[in-house]
Amino acid sequence: MLGIVIDDSRAMRKILRGLLADLGFEVLEAGNGREALDLLQSTGRVPDLALVDWNMPVMTGLEFVIDVRKIAEMRQMTLMMVTTESEHGQIVRALAAGAHEYVIKPFTRDGIIDKLALLGLVPVGVSS
Amino acid sequence: MTNDVSTAVEVDLDMIAEQVWSAFLNGGEEETLFADTDSGAGVELAASVAMVGAYEGHLVVSCSHKASRDVASVLFAMEPDEVTPDDVGDALGELANVLGGNVKSVLPSPSQLSLPRVSATAHERWPGTVEVCRTVVRWRDEPYVVTLLSGGPGGSHNAQEA
Repeated sequence: MLGIVIDDSRAMRKILRGLLADLGFEVLEAGNGREALDLLQSTGRVPDLALVDWNMPVMTGLEFVIDVRKIAEMRQMTLMMVTTESEHGQIVRALAAGAHEYVIKPFTRDGIIDKLALLGLVPVGVSS
Repeated sequence: MTNDVSTAVEVDLDMIAEQVWSAFLNGGEEETLFADTDSGAGVELAASVAMVGAYEGHLVVSCSHKASRDVASVLFAMEPDEVTPDDVGDALGELANVLGGNVKSVLPSPSQLSLPRVSATAHERWPGTVEVCRTVVRWRDEPYVVTLLSGGPGGSHNAQEA
């Protein structure tokens, strides 16, 4: 399984990279949506999962979700927002744009794993 | 903002700070966390995010250099003396971002959150703002002052260097 962590905070990328690596993912990183799109298009790789922050410079997470949903080759990628943005309207916008799941920071390790299990990306019960 | 609203926000600030420290820094265990009435004297760094929209203001977290290194060391899983100034800025900024996002969720909406800004407290100013509430978190024997400000010119993060 291939995952990509898209967050402008290096600390957050390190935390999420470690979590995914522990679950057996190979992990890519990008500091914003534009960097992620460029990375994926230059390598031709399509991750099974993208963990996407919302507030980032250059290209926000929402803009990334909207753009990536227009690319036919990437439609199978599961998109999970991992963000501090917790207003109901913003959650609705992200899900309407094509995000599959929404996790609000601060998250717990088990909280992320449970969401991944619901999406079928890790076996149920891994977190316990 | 009325006194009633300020009181409600203050209660939430305590709760939010505790939740953020517990999930973000403590891993749900280890260090004791509690709020006290410490003035926060001696804080040297401030990280802030601006809120623009239905609520106009800033969420600021300020602390000492040692405290900021402790935060960075936990988030980067490194020893405190190994973290770089860039690590400290990144970690403290993300702490402000997480606190600000959660505080914003209990304030009038919709509002937009800015990217975090980190600088020396001696050089930070938020003109035209008033303090709504604050709490002081004591973690690893260091105070972290979390302050919610209201007001200031809208449309941009308006912290200015003195």
